[in-house]
Amino acid sequence: MEVFPLSQTDTTEAPRDERREGELAALLAALGGNVADSLLKPNDDIWVRVTAETWRASAEAIKSLGYTYFCFLSAIDWMPSPFGKGEDDPTQPAPERKTDIVQGYAGGETRFQLLARFVKPFSSSGVNVKCDVPADSLTVESIVPVFAGANWHERETWEMFGINFAGHPDLRHIYLPQDFEGHPLRKDFPLLARIVKPWPGIVDVEPLPGDDSEEDGE
Amino acid sequence: MGLVDRGRLPKPLTSLFNLGRSYSMWVYQWGLACCAIEMGAAFGSPRYDVMRLGVIPLPASPRQADLVVISGTVTDKMAPAIKRLYEQMPEPKYVISMGSCANCGGPYWDSYSVTKGVDQIIPVDVYVPGCPPRPEALLEGVVLLQQRIKNEDMGARWRGEGTVAMSAIDGEAAERGGVPVVAN
Amino acid sequence: MSLLGDRQQLSYIAAQAADARVNVELETEGMTLNIGPQHPATHGTLRIIARLDGEQVVWAEPSAGYMHRGYEKLTEVRTFPQVTALVNRIDWLGSFANEVPFILAAEKLMGVEATPRAQHIRTILFELSRIANVSLFLGDLGVQLGAVTPVFFAFRDREYVLNLIEAATGGRFHPNFDRIGGLKDDLPAGFIDETRNVMKKLRGFCDEMEDLLFGNEIFQSRTRGIGVIPKDVALQYGLSGANLRASGVDWDLRRDQSLPMAWDKVDWKVITHPDGDSFARCWVRLQEVRESTRIVDQLLDTIPSGPVMVKVPKIIKVPEGEAWVSTENPLGEMGYYVVSQNDQGPFRVKIRSASFNNISIVPWLLKGVYVPDIITILASLYFILGDIDR
Repeated sequence: MEVFPLSQTDTTEAPRDERREGELAALLAALGGNVADSLLKPNDDIWVRVTAETWRASAEAIKSLGYTYFCFLSAIDWMPSPFGKGEDDPTQPAPERKTDIVQGYAGGETRFQLLARFVKPFSSSGVNVKCDVPADSLTVESIVPVFAGANWHERETWEMFGINFAGHPDLRHIYLPQDFEGHPLRKDFPLLARIVKPWPGIVDVEPLPGDDSEEDGE
Repeated sequence: MGLVDRGRLPKPLTSLFNLGRSYSMWVYQWGLACCAIEMGAAFGSPRYDVMRLGVIPLPASPRQADLVVISGTVTDKMAPAIKRLYEQMPEPKYVISMGSCANCGGPYWDSYSVTKGVDQIIPVDVYVPGCPPRPEALLEGVVLLQQRIKNEDMGARWRGEGTVAMSAIDGEAAERGGVPVVAN
Repeated sequence: MSLLGDRQQLSYIAAQAADARVNVELETEGMTLNIGPQHPATHGTLRIIARLDGEQVVWAEPSAGYMHRGYEKLTEVRTFPQVTALVNRIDWLGSFANEVPFILAAEKLMGVEATPRAQHIRTILFELSRIANVSLFLGDLGVQLGAVTPVFFAFRDREYVLNLIEAATGGRFHPNFDRIGGLKDDLPAGFIDETRNVMKKLRGFCDEMEDLLFGNEIFQSRTRGIGVIPKDVALQYGLSGANLRASGVDWDLRRDQSLPMAWDKVDWKVITHPDGDSFARCWVRLQEVRESTRIVDQLLDTIPSGPVMVKVPKIIKVPEGEAWVSTENPLGEMGYYVVSQNDQGPFRVKIRSASFNNISIVPWLLKGVYVPDIITILASLYFILGDIDR
């Protein structure tokens, strides 16, 4: 298992992206001590990770920098799924699987991470903001006072992951019926249909009759 | 006169009634998802006209409908509404399940919020497979349903047994005549 | 001359006036109106719960989730090609447009770029699906406001576009044609000439719609000034697509973003409208269909030759990383945030669908409007249930 390299502004061999470098510098200056980590992929995108206590303050700072378009807010559960790809044979014991949690871009320390994206309108300058959700309380501040559109997104994130948003005006189910139990997008929430009857696996990579190895891959 | 409920309707009269019923159906479209668009193309567009089969779309309410076409994914949240809709329809009523989502859950067979097939909630007469089925496929489903109705035992339906055939269809004769066989 | 005598008339009038005084003093109770989930005016299974005071809405809320199929969970147990097939069905009217941002994100992670011919054809199919999608919107717009004729025109003209898409990809909707590294197949013979004919027909359709609907006095009085969304509110809620451009925000992701697609190789303009009301939203979409037909015409003239697929391994394992790609879909901005951990399938896909944000503004927008205007506003905001509920 390779350790995912921690972020650093990548200016050695990759092509330089001055516009994004300027944007990242402005963001880091505005956010100051809130930032735990950041990553710039040239000609790709910017990632910034802030601490959970400063989530709302960071959102306000980013908005005041000109990122007034609220793109989305969601979360990522970094735990590898104990059910794999849902192809286990129910009659056999479960195979050995990796259980260590490896976070992605801009690092992280917890299993759940909030992910939001804010964009400067009229341009393609956006920033992906991540935040570690504290594992004991699973609560973060709500940013509904900053971006009114976050209301529905936070409801969905609560419903799917179980992350509470302190200060949200109306945290209740948005997609699922009121009596639904569990948080579906968590990796330990099983897809029952696959446990009862597993998917037979990929069977469609066989070449069509008459085709040689020039077949385009699936 | 009590002929129907006692099962004593003579066969020619049954055939006449069945013929009349099958060519005068009023279809309630319960369009949920992508199949609803193909259903709209079959029912509402001038190319795949369904009215030429004697089936008229767009009744004013389910209480005036004979046939309901469930097209699209049935989720667990939506299922009570479908059940209530089905109960609102007066007998004799028929159900066509259109698309693989309504047949068996379709591409979302493993989802946590999808009902794996509408036949878990209501009895289905004809399944039209496809994702989405072409409008012609839906029209074929309607034609198969009409054949089924023509062969239906009205007494059984009056007694609440659903759609029961009067006699097993002679498969060979049907195929010789060029008619697709209706499987019961 | 009247049938009643004077005295009777006076007492009748007095009785009416007394009645009116009583009615003014009576308090009316609010009523809760439930629109949907099965309703001909909603594009699918959307349920709006509105509390009314007389004819005005005091509080309204859309209750989504009747078409929630759990996409994001399903993508975690499927491979990339399987996810492509599944993702077609989110915005089910313009299906090819759903595959493109996902495939672009996967290609970004793999570090491959499709061949120029594939990029070109992708753009053509993307614009065709936009035309198919929005032409049905124009038809449905009529139905929801009471004009039944436009929907027949829309279905008829949409059939031409669907025939084209079927000729190229094999499926009327849900083409499932995009692959990591290019497209599944090349265009069939005769496609280019046929598409030119169809684009001419579609331009005729736009003119017909403009005559039938937009010039109509009833349509104008029902949509002008209804449901005005100011710029800053629109940005806060994350409105996108024609809804944003109708509020005067000059932002189009096809022009303002550099993606490996062919929009920057043709000449076209972005259409905005300063008003921000329902009429503006409908009008912007109509003009965008016209503009799309022009884009397709120009693209057809300049398709580069070459292969449609780069060499990729038969079984694709996408390396570790995260990527975000969003495009200007017919409904708005649709984006995919793909997290991959060196596997055949993604680790997590966040689907940012345009209608979810577009409809989240409805509780704010519907305060104080009259009941018929609810339908007008929903019609002009234009959502697809699969896009809201995923």
